[in-house]
Amino acid sequence: MTGVYTNTTFVDAYRGAGRPEATYVIERAMDLFAREIGMDRAEIRRRNFIAPNAFPYDNPSGLGTASGGAKIYIDSGNYEPALDKALAMVGYEDLAARKADARLRGKYLGLGLSTYLEVCGVAPSKWIGAVGEGWGAAMWESSNIRVHLTGKVVLTIGTSPQGQGHETTYSQVISHELGVPVDDVIVQHSDTQGTPFGYGSYGSRTSSVGSTAAIKAAGKIREKARRYAAHMLEAAPEDIEIDGANYSVRGSPDKVKTLQEIAFALDLAFDTPVGMEPYLDETAYYDPTNCTWPFGTHIAIVEIDEETGHVDLVRYVAVDDVGNKINPMIVDGQLHGGIAQGVGQALWEGAVYDDQGQLLSGSLLDYALPRAAWLPSFELDETVTPSPVNPIGVKGVGEAGAIASTAAVANAVVDALGPLGVRHLDMPYTPQTVWRAIQTAKGGQA
Amino acid sequence: MTSLAFDYRRADSVDQALALLAEADPGTKVLAGGHSLLPIMKTRLARPDRLIDIGRLNELRGVNRLGDGGLSIGALTTYSELLANPAITVYGLLADVLPTIGDVQVRNRGTIGGAVAHVDPAADLPACLLVLDAEVVVRSARGGRTIALTSFFEGAFNSVLLPDELITEIRLPAASGDYRSAYRAQEQPASGYALAGAAVVIGRSTGGGGRFDRAAIGITGVGECPYRASAAEQEFLSSGDPAAAAAHATDGVLVASDIHADREYRTALIRVQVRRALEAAIERVG
Ligand SMILES: Cc1cc2nc3c(=O)[nH]c(=O)nc-3n(C[C@H](O)[C@H](O)[C@H](O)COP(=O)(O)OP(=O)(O)OC[C@H]3O[C@@H](n4cnc5c(N)ncnc54)[C@H](O)[C@@H]3O)c2cc1C
Repeated sequence: MTGVYTNTTFVDAYRGAGRPEATYVIERAMDLFAREIGMDRAEIRRRNFIAPNAFPYDNPSGLGTASGGAKIYIDSGNYEPALDKALAMVGYEDLAARKADARLRGKYLGLGLSTYLEVCGVAPSKWIGAVGEGWGAAMWESSNIRVHLTGKVVLTIGTSPQGQGHETTYSQVISHELGVPVDDVIVQHSDTQGTPFGYGSYGSRTSSVGSTAAIKAAGKIREKARRYAAHMLEAAPEDIEIDGANYSVRGSPDKVKTLQEIAFALDLAFDTPVGMEPYLDETAYYDPTNCTWPFGTHIAIVEIDEETGHVDLVRYVAVDDVGNKINPMIVDGQLHGGIAQGVGQALWEGAVYDDQGQLLSGSLLDYALPRAAWLPSFELDETVTPSPVNPIGVKGVGEAGAIASTAAVANAVVDALGPLGVRHLDMPYTPQTVWRAIQTAKGGQA
Repeated sequence: MTSLAFDYRRADSVDQALALLAEADPGTKVLAGGHSLLPIMKTRLARPDRLIDIGRLNELRGVNRLGDGGLSIGALTTYSELLANPAITVYGLLADVLPTIGDVQVRNRGTIGGAVAHVDPAADLPACLLVLDAEVVVRSARGGRTIALTSFFEGAFNSVLLPDELITEIRLPAASGDYRSAYRAQEQPASGYALAGAAVVIGRSTGGGGRFDRAAIGITGVGECPYRASAAEQEFLSSGDPAAAAAHATDGVLVASDIHADREYRTALIRVQVRRALEAAIERVG
């Protein structure tokens, strides 16, 4: 074994941790292989998709074996519709004509596909243990719900957002589960003095794992509220019907108590049945049985200035299947940011050192982050294949954009340079790198 | 990082600014828009011990038509004010360049005097002013002088301006005759400054037989400081061929090399920009 110490930047989690790299390798390999055997790039992917009736699918890599021999399966999927939709949106049939048109303008046009499959909702503790994370991570999540006497619901979560709008999505979920207005749900997070323990927001796991813990806690709240409603309405708990925030006696819809009335009485607690604790306050822990597996097809179109090597991303189409969506606008926002981030890696970003190990791209004056003005308006669409892993059928979306887009842009750039005989080029595709590749291919002095 | 401590004086008149400059030591700096000076103070590449803030000297702000049809531009005039001024529209390359400098905040703060005084090797505007035959009007407590911009820059961040001198205006001669100009640059993606930028002005005098008999080509991002590519200008005057002229864009110049563009790429890139700027200028009037 060789140990290496370095003071230069190493590879670490950014967004998608591991899957952007895997996707890049797979998608580049697909294109290289298609070219090698003379098959259409979309067709080779289509032929290698897992069939829609093969789910849950046992990944032959063996990665899906958890401790005690338990298995992790690819939960659900239907890959061709996303590919077909994206190809139609981008006008795949007309590609040759558009390439020819670009040549008249001194540009090389290229199209890149990325038919990604990713694993997220990272979860079962027994799986993480088995794949040898080694640092003793568990993968469950937790949530606490208190219903105050005013009827306001305070949801405290173990996951910690970094700007993904969890306050909104959790509120929507709990509003749905307890029948209270979204505005009446207060989401608290990230303060370890006041939140239950959890393992955090990464691996696109919050909605799959964290929301499920919250739904479980909401279920406990409902059950206690049902028992107390039965007490208030002098009925058997089995005879209490729940409709949103209304708890009524079966067959007597006028005998009804709202969640707020129940919470109020349980808070005052002067009339509590024997054995029942005051207050509506429940905590739930949840360790899923499986991960979730979002997928989709992203297509990038670039134009390369043949004289300067400058790469212009002119179109970006993304058809993502992230299962059910809690809040479509937040999903789109995650995709937009993720796509931009992945494009940044492909086109601009890189830690550059001199041969003494001195960092040369040490400030934002030299390290180029993506800017809105350099990006086209992303064209997004969806297919929806719910995940069976969690009660709301979500798959996760926090990282999908960044996982798919780097490979799509890379494939587009290499495709653009294909007519020159370029088979592969390493990222980032800065103008200088691309210019040099063009010169070399043309047999110039460079 | 934050800047080191410094003494701050605000001038309420040009005369007061000149008086303050007269007693200045080499550690004194004029502060205009601050968009070049403050960033390098934060990183401590510049460590002035005193700033003289001229930001409120409205007498240095604005564009005036001179008797000969030229323009006098106050040193404190911002990029945004220039862009909004109809008098500059005859100089097509100013309309090309101004919207590409930084972003709205930078254009609202950055001044023409600051851009000239700072001599950033990759700044956009100085190359344009070079081909417009701009003159720099400076004043000090000792008097004033007018310096052709072509003899103003001395090297990176270096000019002939003396420590007690203040730039008060930039003068542009009238755009006369068959006057065509353009600016073409490729941005360094992180900073937005020019990786290689070319400003050109070409013209024909009436009765000149249809040939371009005026050519000025200014280059930024390539050498130690913005420069006029005289060999390229000569080539364009004799052949009229943009590509042939562009081949001489870096004659006699030590071309800069960095992580974004090594010498070979930067040389190729500036040739493309010069050729495209010339082609664009030929295509348009103004
Ligand atoms: C985020 C950002 C992006 C930018 N992008 C670009 C870009 O794309 N292209 C580009 O060209 N520039 C760019 N700039 C620089 C910008 O154009 C500067 O504002 C301008 O070059 C300097 O003008 P200023 O008024 O800010 O000068 P200051 O920063 O105030 O001063 C700069 C220097 O000039 C001296 N000085 C200023 N005025 C006078 C005067 N009247 N007499 C004597 N000396 C004087 C100062 O003492 C100082 O040494 C950018 C700046 C920032 C912060």
